[in-house]
Amino acid sequence: MDATERQRAAAVADLAAVIERASADLALAEEPSGFVLALEMGAPPPASR
Amino acid sequence: MSDRWTIATLGAAMAAGRISPLEITRELLTRVGRLDGRVHSFITLDEERALQAARARTEELAGGRRPGPLHGIPLAYKDLCRIPGLPTSCGTRTRDYFVTDVECTAVRRLREAGAVTLGSLNMSELALGPFGDNAHHGDVDNPRRPGHCAGGSSSGSAAAVAAGFALGAVGSDTGGSIRLPAACCGVVGLKPTYGYVSRAGAMPLSWSLDHLGPLAGTVGDVALLLEAIAGHDPRDGTSSRRPAPRANAIESGAAGLRVGVPENYFVDGLAPEVEAGLAEAIRVVERVAAGVKTIRVPDPTTIVDASQVLVACESATIHARVLRERPHELQPVVRGRLEVGLHISAHDYLQAARLRAGAARAFIQEVFAEVDLLVAPTIPEPALAWAVAKAGSADDVIQRMRRFSRLTRPFNGLGLPALSLPCGTSPDGRPLALQIVGRPFDEVSVLRLGRACERETGWTESGPPIV
Repeated sequence: MDATERQRAAAVADLAAVIERASADLALAEEPSGFVLALEMGAPPPASR
Repeated sequence: MSDRWTIATLGAAMAAGRISPLEITRELLTRVGRLDGRVHSFITLDEERALQAARARTEELAGGRRPGPLHGIPLAYKDLCRIPGLPTSCGTRTRDYFVTDVECTAVRRLREAGAVTLGSLNMSELALGPFGDNAHHGDVDNPRRPGHCAGGSSSGSAAAVAAGFALGAVGSDTGGSIRLPAACCGVVGLKPTYGYVSRAGAMPLSWSLDHLGPLAGTVGDVALLLEAIAGHDPRDGTSSRRPAPRANAIESGAAGLRVGVPENYFVDGLAPEVEAGLAEAIRVVERVAAGVKTIRVPDPTTIVDASQVLVACESATIHARVLRERPHELQPVVRGRLEVGLHISAHDYLQAARLRAGAARAFIQEVFAEVDLLVAPTIPEPALAWAVAKAGSADDVIQRMRRFSRLTRPFNGLGLPALSLPCGTSPDGRPLALQIVGRPFDEVSVLRLGRACERETGWTESGPPIV
């Protein structure tokens, strides 16, 4: 494994650790499509735009 | 150009018969021919078809047609937008890298509104890079500050507008790629809400984070372009059904809008000249808006980390073929960034996508319960000199890229509308920029504040000498 590959492996391991920690408290029902719902629900009502 | 036209003033002059689409197109093509050898903003200049379209728009005006605001306006598009008849290199050395029968919807809508296509614009290779360097088509030099980066990845889009080559442009933004070059070059750039502007016919980098949006010289011009390109498109599965915002809705001032200034994350590690510019910009916002308050925003670090996983996996998937068959053709930094995505597990990718949903919900609920808009700097330091931007190993450059885009990336993950507006210059003449962020699909409020600021200050009317 050369220096570039070692750096890449370290970067991937760091990201995996961050995601693992952050996702520990996710609700069971959370799913990716919740993102689009969050945008639609967060938009102001049409009259105020 | 003898006059510093905006889309609005040029449209009015054309309607009044003071200048024709053909005259302005010829003038701009001449200017590009004279000066773009230094800037490198175009990849393909489509002179013949531009003149043909300009001649047709001129004849329509002579025939008494009442034009819309974009009739006869010369525009240009990032070289990842599919323009019929032109190659789409996406900043790679492959002439026809992105091949599709689908014309870019944003380009088509602007063409149908009467705009004249000048050509395709330079960009960071595969839209991966915040500085605007490109080993294949030339580094895009900053028209406001030669020898400095134009910002990326929509480097040519911002530089062409700043240099007076085009009245407006379309760029793409996956981590700041519209706002960063707009900030570096002293022009206005908008990343709309995720799903508001169709990405159909544009090369994807990350389907979860990609946005297309307009760049122009003023907030008013950006609103005109947005009105033309926003709105539902059945060819993009993520396209919202909300109607496009009306450009004239931004003229009502910013009174009544509550503005927040983050006290965390977005003010960390700023260069002194950026801090000073932000303080001055906040004083302007205080004069035009209902009120300004300092607020603590949910830490965007998680959404930034999750976005990094999403873009790494998706970009490596989309560009798997070039990685597998012709990796030597890619710039080392671009190749290195793409290859990371091949080593992230499906488990981590899916957890990142789930994290994003919760983080967006929390940020929107907490922040916009208190204020209508957020303001923050777009870039943590002004445009870097090329020698600084490119110094060191590939890993050094990647770390520098992350620092430079740290203020824009949160809003790709969150999907919120974010405008970059020039707000003066550093003592050595490099543009500074303010980022204005709003609720989902509330581009009108974002643009209202930007418009009120530009009217109050003339931030977008003057600048240092251009090229």
